Amino acid sequence: MGQIEWAMWANEQALAAGLILLTGGIVAVAGQFKGWYFAAYSIAAGVLVCLLEYPRSKRKKGSTMERCGQKYLTAVVKLLGPLTRNYYIRAILHAALAVPAGFLLSTILGTVCLGIASGIYLLAAVRGEEWRPIEQKPRERPQGGGTMKAPPSNPPPRPPPDARRKQPELGGQVNPIPVEVE
Amino acid sequence: MALSWRSWLANEGSKHLFLFFWLSLNVWLFGKTFLLYNQGLQYYYLHQMLGLGLCISRASASVLNLNCCLVLLPMCRVLLAFLRGSQKVASKKTRRLLDKSKTFHVTCGVTICIFSVLHVAAHLVNALNFSENYNEEFVTLNAANYRGEDPRKLLFATIPGLTGVIMVLVLFLMCTASTYAIRVSNYDIFWYTHNLFFVFYMLLMLHVSGGVLKYQTNLEEHPPGCFNPNKTLRQNLTVPKALGELFPDYTTEPFPEDPPVPEPFAQNSFTRVCSEEPKFQSHFPETWFWISGPLCLYCVERLYRYIRSNKPVTITSVISHPSNVLEVRMVKDDFEARPGQYVILHCPRVSALESHPFTLTMCPTDTKATFGVHLKVVGDWTERFRDLLLLHSNQDTEILPIFQQRRYPNDGWKCYKLRRLYFIWVCRDIESFRWFADLLCMLHNKLWQENRPDYINIQLYLSQTDGIQKIIGEKYQALNSRLLIGRPRWKLLFDDIAKCNRRKTIGVFCCGPNKISKILHKLSNSSNSYGTRFEYNKESFS
Repeated sequence: MGQIEWAMWANEQALAAGLILLTGGIVAVAGQFKGWYFAAYSIAAGVLVCLLEYPRSKRKKGSTMERCGQKYLTAVVKLLGPLTRNYYIRAILHAALAVPAGFLLSTILGTVCLGIASGIYLLAAVRGEEWRPIEQKPRERPQGGGTMKAPPSNPPPRPPPDARRKQPELGGQVNPIPVEVE
Repeated sequence: MALSWRSWLANEGSKHLFLFFWLSLNVWLFGKTFLLYNQGLQYYYLHQMLGLGLCISRASASVLNLNCCLVLLPMCRVLLAFLRGSQKVASKKTRRLLDKSKTFHVTCGVTICIFSVLHVAAHLVNALNFSENYNEEFVTLNAANYRGEDPRKLLFATIPGLTGVIMVLVLFLMCTASTYAIRVSNYDIFWYTHNLFFVFYMLLMLHVSGGVLKYQTNLEEHPPGCFNPNKTLRQNLTVPKALGELFPDYTTEPFPEDPPVPEPFAQNSFTRVCSEEPKFQSHFPETWFWISGPLCLYCVERLYRYIRSNKPVTITSVISHPSNVLEVRMVKDDFEARPGQYVILHCPRVSALESHPFTLTMCPTDTKATFGVHLKVVGDWTERFRDLLLLHSNQDTEILPIFQQRRYPNDGWKCYKLRRLYFIWVCRDIESFRWFADLLCMLHNKLWQENRPDYINIQLYLSQTDGIQKIIGEKYQALNSRLLIGRPRWKLLFDDIAKCNRRKTIGVFCCGPNKISKILHKLSNSSNSYGTRFEYNKESFS
């Protein structure tokens, strides 16, 4: 139990809550229910929450599954620095965003779900968790320097490397026994 | 890769057939209930009040009934293991279908979520309509107390409403904790929230006992839409459309779209006069019939598992393998298991609540009751378990060198249908092969002695070549010559195996990451020119 990362669960909940807010808001605006201004707000809040929660945070240990295409939003969320990194701020933000949607029947479920997510984020913050961006690992180029040797510059038959090192390169075949043309 | 219809049918056929059957059942239930509430005379006045919301909410409720009943059954693992292992009951097709029980559970769970959304939305509309269309004529039919009552009171201050809201929250918690990402990273969250299902079912029992929606009982005496001479014609008196069409002269107002009244009733009700007021009664909660059976079955199963797990297990030896792998051998009274099954280990000294599954690497036989698991130390539970075992190593366990505990392979060759085994093992680290190096060598030697050298075909693949200089050792000569560098080329492997076993049926058993599983699945379904059929099976825990 000691190593549970609560933030990951809070993230799933907040994303789901954002979608619920969005759906409830769209239904209320389309049906022109009474108090549809709350619904319009809830659409905006839902979109904001979804965008904020889409990039998953990096786990402390082990590899993290990225959501499809999250690297673009990661770049944006990273820019906000401590505002998005700190989970206390996220907990308060979600709690605040959730309240106005509670006044309309079709979005009240979104309020409660976002409220629960906010509570779990608070728990995560108390346990010292933080949002860390998942960085793209730079593509490892094959190391050409140390292990790969330069190709031989002289044609075969080639003397062994020791012999080559002892004698200076004369830019061509060096005969160990002088050849006399007859 | 071309698809082979024979292979596809063998691999996917029964699964898809079963799913098709289940889907048809759901569609039929939805349609039947929808039409019942849309056209049924006993719901005529209720339908007038609530409209489409009534039909959708009741239809989705019936689908929810079915799925809440079915979702528990695949989780009765002891029962399923019994069915699967019993040779009298199950054929191979049924056994392979039973292997898919977890997928079916997930399918039913997702259906419950989707139809819950539909059900809740429809009931929200119903709450609004109960409030706005308060029926002064038939007061008992109403759920609201007066016209224009706040619909939120109907939602939160009634038993069905409140239990429904809490059920939605429980479902929300269960759903968000069941995603693949959470199961893979924090299994505990998934496990503990999923056990809230019991709260969900208790609330469900209460939810349906509210009896808010009523049906009319005295259809003979009061056919809906009948003529009541004691009441004056009011402006909003609606005449069923069927009657209006029959006698157009007698209707002065355009009538709204009404549920069609069947012919006999139409004629009767026009000529008949209402002899009495309609009487309404709540349904008996049929959900209780749907869910009580599976819920009891599942509770009995959990109780059985708990009682069975209370008997302690004695650890007889602990062997430390390279790459952080521990082999634990144990004995337990009356324990039977077959190859391929797994056990769940629970060690109260390590953690009071956690328990973890491990596949059996050694099963108890008739002559030897020891069984064993190999576990890799990756998380905090396995770390603490290893520390505990090594700490207690002097007291009641012994760490025996690998050779002495040899009694592989299991005694006696029973008559298996297995003709040949291709064992393909892919590892990243060359030291990992040591986990079963002894077992494999012994098996190879034994088969060599019994003149069946081609019974098992071992291929070891090393996918990363970092520590290649560490050779596994001279005593594992048989394995050294079977070691290949790089990942296996599955297509070539399948072609090779197909060529050597023409027209036979080959079972593919995959235990590994999803990527490999997908490739093998696709290859098992594709065609080859040798007439060989591959049946695909896979094992997954999360």
